[in-house]
Amino acid sequence: MKYMLMLFEPDTDWDTVPEAERTAALAEHEAFIAYLRGRGIEFSGEALRPSATATTLRPAGPGEDLLVTDGPYVELKENLAGYYVVEAADLDDAVEIARHCPTGTGTEIRPLWDAGT
Amino acid sequence: MTDAVAEAHRRGWARVLATVVRITRDLDAAEDAVQDAFTAAVERWPAQGVPDDTTAWLTTVARNRALDAMRRERTLARKLPLLMVPTPAEPDEPDGLTDERLRLIFTCCHPALALPSRVALTLRLVCGVPTPDVARLFLVSQPTMAARLTRAKKKIQAAGIPYRVPAAHELPDRLPAVLAVVSLLLTEGHTASRGESLRQPELIRTATELAEVLAELMPDEAEVLGLLATVRLAAARGAGRLDDDGGLVLLSSQDRASWDRGLIADGCELAARAMRRTTPERAGPYALHAAIAAVHSEAPAYEATDWAQIVTLYGLLLRVAPSPVTELARVAAWSHVAGPAAALAEVTALAARPPLAGYHGLPAVRADLLRRLGRNAEAAASYREAAALTANAVERAFLLTQATQLVAE
Repeated sequence: MKYMLMLFEPDTDWDTVPEAERTAALAEHEAFIAYLRGRGIEFSGEALRPSATATTLRPAGPGEDLLVTDGPYVELKENLAGYYVVEAADLDDAVEIARHCPTGTGTEIRPLWDAGT
Repeated sequence: MTDAVAEAHRRGWARVLATVVRITRDLDAAEDAVQDAFTAAVERWPAQGVPDDTTAWLTTVARNRALDAMRRERTLARKLPLLMVPTPAEPDEPDGLTDERLRLIFTCCHPALALPSRVALTLRLVCGVPTPDVARLFLVSQPTMAARLTRAKKKIQAAGIPYRVPAAHELPDRLPAVLAVVSLLLTEGHTASRGESLRQPELIRTATELAEVLAELMPDEAEVLGLLATVRLAAARGAGRLDDDGGLVLLSSQDRASWDRGLIADGCELAARAMRRTTPERAGPYALHAAIAAVHSEAPAYEATDWAQIVTLYGLLLRVAPSPVTELARVAAWSHVAGPAAALAEVTALAARPPLAGYHGLPAVRADLLRRLGRNAEAAASYREAAALTANAVERAFLLTQATQLVAE
């Protein structure tokens, strides 16, 4: 089963973070990726730029064009900062994998809808 | 004859469902098949006689119904993924160490489900309580409860909550979610948080059965033994908590001769066994709660209670399970060691903290301390404050009577 691990953390612009801190954060993710490879788990994942760089389209009204707005869909103190999609046996396995994943303020685990079954 | 079906339901429902679920890998389908099997029993047993092994009979019928339904529905597209039934590395131990019911209990009580959902699922799937009765027990409408159950079952299958018993090393993480369900049933059963009567015997019976099953299946787990001890001790003292009119009687005024000595001996033995399987510093909350109940139960009179021991146990409890309600209980016990004046200062400090605002226990304890200090008018006001905060009619009546008596004195 495929699960998305959604990593939430306070908005961080990694370009402006001191190099040592950025290196340490990257090292944590490299360690997680080594864990995934070590277990032979199929995965993908990306990190997102901060929510200040987000653009959101909203319905402006019936029959009107979508409105382009500045900022994320929901303004939160902590935002989605990145994600992994992993192949896990079941939810317990996904939780175990997520425990190895670096986390800021929380990791949401969601099963992916499998259109094939 | 319906007695035979009722007895078979009590003994066999969970086992039959737990077995059929492994075939259907769908909770709803299994539930329907098991329900059908019980309907068949009601129809056939009066004419054909009650089978020797009712659970085996029901399992066979339910399994066949489930297989028929699966054949019929094979062509229909599934909306939900199937239940994750991990293939065991080895077949189940032939001595039956892995009880089917445990899989069902651990799945219904998975920590990824919210407590109210776990409780509802456990009552419905493990105990076989019909949905309208589950709704009634928790004073919610039937559609609300049905929706809660549907959502929870959908999450189990869609999120891939596995249908399995956790390995021994996972138990410390997984057991609390199970024990919390039984504990909530027990607490609600003995003191309903809402409604007209203090006790709900059905919930107590369900909690007792679950605690017994858990203790039978995990006889070496200190927390499980502690929970069963608490169940026994609460039952032993249950009758003494109510007067002839169904009113509340406090521990201090209870007739200890009305307590069931056999249950107390049993409960104290279990509490001691729980503590022997751990150490005071490492004991979990259920073993400690049991130890506290045991100290109360063994006291020949309220005044003869070993309060110092109870204060110590509450202190240990606060270390493993910090909670403002437990702090309040510790202060109430401590008042018998340090005196009501010192305790009153502690209660006032507790009241300043938000978690206890709106909790009727706080003004009730304050009222008792004020009464013992002879400050009757203030005590009466506190009893009335507590009465206004409780949603249980029997507790409210008790608190208002206390207030009235103080004013009369």
